[in-house]
Amino acid sequence: MSKTITASGPLTRWRTIDLLTCAFLGVAFGVAYWAWGLVYSVPSNAVSAVFPPLGALFNWPWLVAGVVGMLIIRRPGAAVFTELLAAVVSALIGTQWGLTTLVSGLVQGLGVEIGFAVFGYAVYRWAPLLLGGFLGGAFEAVYEWYSYWTDWGWDYKIAYLFLLGASVAVFGSLVAVGLTRLLAAAGALNPFPPGQEVREQRAV
Amino acid sequence: MALGAARSTGGVEVRVRDLTWRPFGRSRPVLDGLDLTLGPGERVLLAGPSGSGKSTLLRAVAGLLLTADSGDLSGAVTVGGHAPQDVPGSVGLVLQDPGAGVVASSIGRDVAFGLENVSMPPGEMPPRVEAALREVGLTMSADSSPATLSGGESQRLALAGALAMEPSVLLLDEPTAMLDAATAGDVRAVVSDVVARRGLTLVVVEHRLEGWLDHVDRLVVLDAAGSVVADGEPRRVLREHGRSLADQGIWVPGVPDPDPLPLVLDRAPEGAAGRVPAGGVVAAASGVRVEHVSRRLGGSSRTTVAVDGADLEARAGRTVALVGPSGAGKSSLMGALGGLVQPSRGTVDVAPPLTPAESGATSDAAARTRLAPPHAWSSSDLARVVAWVPQRAATALLGRTVREDVLTTPLALGQDPEVSGVRADALLGSLGLAHLADADPRQLSGGEQRRLAMASAVAHGPALVLADEPTVGQDRLTWAAVSGVLAAARAEGAAVVVTTHDPGVVDDADHVVRLDAPPQPAPDPEPERRPLVARAGPLSLLAAALCVLPLPALLDTWRQGLAVLIVEVLLGLVGLLAPGPGRAPHARLRGVLARLAPAAVAVVGVAWSAWLLGGRDVEVAAGAALRVLCLLVPSAVVVGFIDPEGLGDHLAQRLRLPARPVVAATAALQRLQSFDALWGELMTTRRVRGVRADRGPVARGREAVVVTGGLLVGALGQASALALAMDARGFAEARRRTWAGPAPWRRPDTLALGAGILVIAAAATARLLLP
Repeated sequence: MSKTITASGPLTRWRTIDLLTCAFLGVAFGVAYWAWGLVYSVPSNAVSAVFPPLGALFNWPWLVAGVVGMLIIRRPGAAVFTELLAAVVSALIGTQWGLTTLVSGLVQGLGVEIGFAVFGYAVYRWAPLLLGGFLGGAFEAVYEWYSYWTDWGWDYKIAYLFLLGASVAVFGSLVAVGLTRLLAAAGALNPFPPGQEVREQRAV
Repeated sequence: MALGAARSTGGVEVRVRDLTWRPFGRSRPVLDGLDLTLGPGERVLLAGPSGSGKSTLLRAVAGLLLTADSGDLSGAVTVGGHAPQDVPGSVGLVLQDPGAGVVASSIGRDVAFGLENVSMPPGEMPPRVEAALREVGLTMSADSSPATLSGGESQRLALAGALAMEPSVLLLDEPTAMLDAATAGDVRAVVSDVVARRGLTLVVVEHRLEGWLDHVDRLVVLDAAGSVVADGEPRRVLREHGRSLADQGIWVPGVPDPDPLPLVLDRAPEGAAGRVPAGGVVAAASGVRVEHVSRRLGGSSRTTVAVDGADLEARAGRTVALVGPSGAGKSSLMGALGGLVQPSRGTVDVAPPLTPAESGATSDAAARTRLAPPHAWSSSDLARVVAWVPQRAATALLGRTVREDVLTTPLALGQDPEVSGVRADALLGSLGLAHLADADPRQLSGGEQRRLAMASAVAHGPALVLADEPTVGQDRLTWAAVSGVLAAARAEGAAVVVTTHDPGVVDDADHVVRLDAPPQPAPDPEPERRPLVARAGPLSLLAAALCVLPLPALLDTWRQGLAVLIVEVLLGLVGLLAPGPGRAPHARLRGVLARLAPAAVAVVGVAWSAWLLGGRDVEVAAGAALRVLCLLVPSAVVVGFIDPEGLGDHLAQRLRLPARPVVAATAALQRLQSFDALWGELMTTRRVRGVRADRGPVARGREAVVVTGGLLVGALGQASALALAMDARGFAEARRRTWAGPAPWRRPDTLALGAGILVIAAAATARLLLP
């Protein structure tokens, strides 16, 4: 990838297909989040029994939606919109965290968003992915300190924050990049910058 | 903008000048310097082979080429002298897939969508909506869900949505391709009627020309390069070009149906299903009942009977055509026969030489001792015997390349790669796909994907071939290929079952089984009483549930937590009361408890870590557990009563959130159901192709990822079709819009919010008073 194609059309102007794609991704991820919520507690509780902050290693999937939304749409707000909608959908289907999931979705999306905003929404490679992923995880960790881990000492809290931030930055980014490539290869991203990059590479 | 400011009555002129369009990634333009002028009120049928740019031209006339694709566009299109999108709603567009453009949860609201986008005052909408629904002959209540409509009704709903905006040009992109002949006739009659009454300019794209000839003034033919090769009075154009059009795959009246492609399958590889002598029963379903449960957000579900007390027999070397109106349960009966769905009543028997027990193909001791019905078979046992081609061929693709896709099942069954490779290559060759063998199947055209799905289904020599509407919407070339594969499978000794509306397929079948829609259980006449929470609007419920957010800062000890939890439970129980006349509502408390069950896991996790850290003190652990429970109980009570569409109305009108994202989000939420169906279809495809992961968490996890990828691809396809339909109704510029649905704030809303605040007050009081 020699050059990054940024958003189609003026950066801040959302086309209908941008909005709908974020929305449909959000809904699809919301279902996936709900499903992950049903199974994740088994491994998460198991490692937490050893060292409670290790549970963070199973929380990164909840941030993939925002990263994927941003990688595809490449517009300000894409991460917050996708992540928040995924949270709404999983809450409406019924996750264990109920409607407070919305707060998680909001802070996670905001963290990812800031990572890309720092680079002026012009770079969609590793640097903003790592930063955005880390911030998204860190923001979520802070919210969880407040709402769930009130009894932890600072050592645990800090460990949790770094574990969650790092696992989102690494695993979350990897999965998000992989999914985006898969969708682009399937021809599902033709109206979007990642799809255009793939198509211009193949054009003869 | 006032609607109709620049609108004349009736149709207007459409001018296309030097239009060139090259999507990114294509070396040649789809349309190259196209010129075309349509007179006001002219009715035009647009024909041409697949890939000639007919749909592209329609999108260009609607001003929507850049809505769902990107590329180089030059030239000009004017509609009545204006660029098409300058006058929202001046060009109405109806797409091929019924329901692709549905945005709302009721048909009335759906028709009003375009009116909202042009900021019509809500009070003026109902008469326009009713008139449009009446004009297309939809007589059911405006509150009906679009999901309950048949294919033909869905197309008429799309038409009503366009008509409500009083367009001067109507564009129809294969509007009847997915419909049976009688329904297609109804839709054509409605279109013709509306166009005549309003004097609209009409452009129809269709593969089957016959039905439209009496309704149009002019036939324009495009060639594969996207240029106009014939243009004029329809009968005259057909006399001159009919033969060549038919050769390119167009269904031309007077030209007989094509013959099935002559196709002889190579020897089936070792390890194929055993054979039943010709005419013998391969599988028989008797007294079968299949129920569909459709879940909705909020946990309520509705059960419909898809088919009841139906019989079906499939015999070796014979084809059964399963016919009947849409909604009669043809696909469900066929699925039950092939073990794709589990019947809730009745039996399905597969001939003994084919069952896993007899062929010794399974190691499962239980299966060997008794003849399990096919829905209980493992993926590879089922794949050996049964092949299935779903109606949407795109969901049936499993391989990275076309050749890999055909070989998926033979290799999964452990058949000899060389023998099955020869058979696969021969199949691809005779279906005209040989040159695409190394291509990514997802990049093929619809017709090519359909042919590929047929090839992949029969590659391993199955004994029972099931095909769901295999010829719908196909051109002559693919039609001949599909019929050829089915005939070859039959000649090989397989039992073939097709659900179809196609007279050509029915004529070719050995037996015809007719199904009629089963009677549905009558809805209870007495209305249910509504619980108190259900009387509050979605916004107040959301706010009430989020009132728990300050609690972690307020609650320190288990006594405080317990006190607040008691307050929450009492408020919740009051909210679930349903006073008044009528039937008692169903399972209120059970729904809430079901939603709290997963919360128990979260609570245990938090309590455990608090216990571990808090010096193994039970009081600390209990405090943590109660605090988390206090966060979750209010959500569990209200979440089932939040209506997503109402929430959208409230967020946009009361909280003034940006209109377009809110509409996009609510439209996507309406499709949650279809994701459920798509997931099921993808999993069924994997199972019947022999690659379903039956056990092992790693294999299942991998499969979940792959299927999620397929689900996302499907979801994005839906998003782009919906974007097109929404922009055709003026959504692109609808930053400020009106709302057909009200967002009232009533006394129950105030009470609900009050209950939320009471929880905060209780927590503050508990903190002050309790140790």
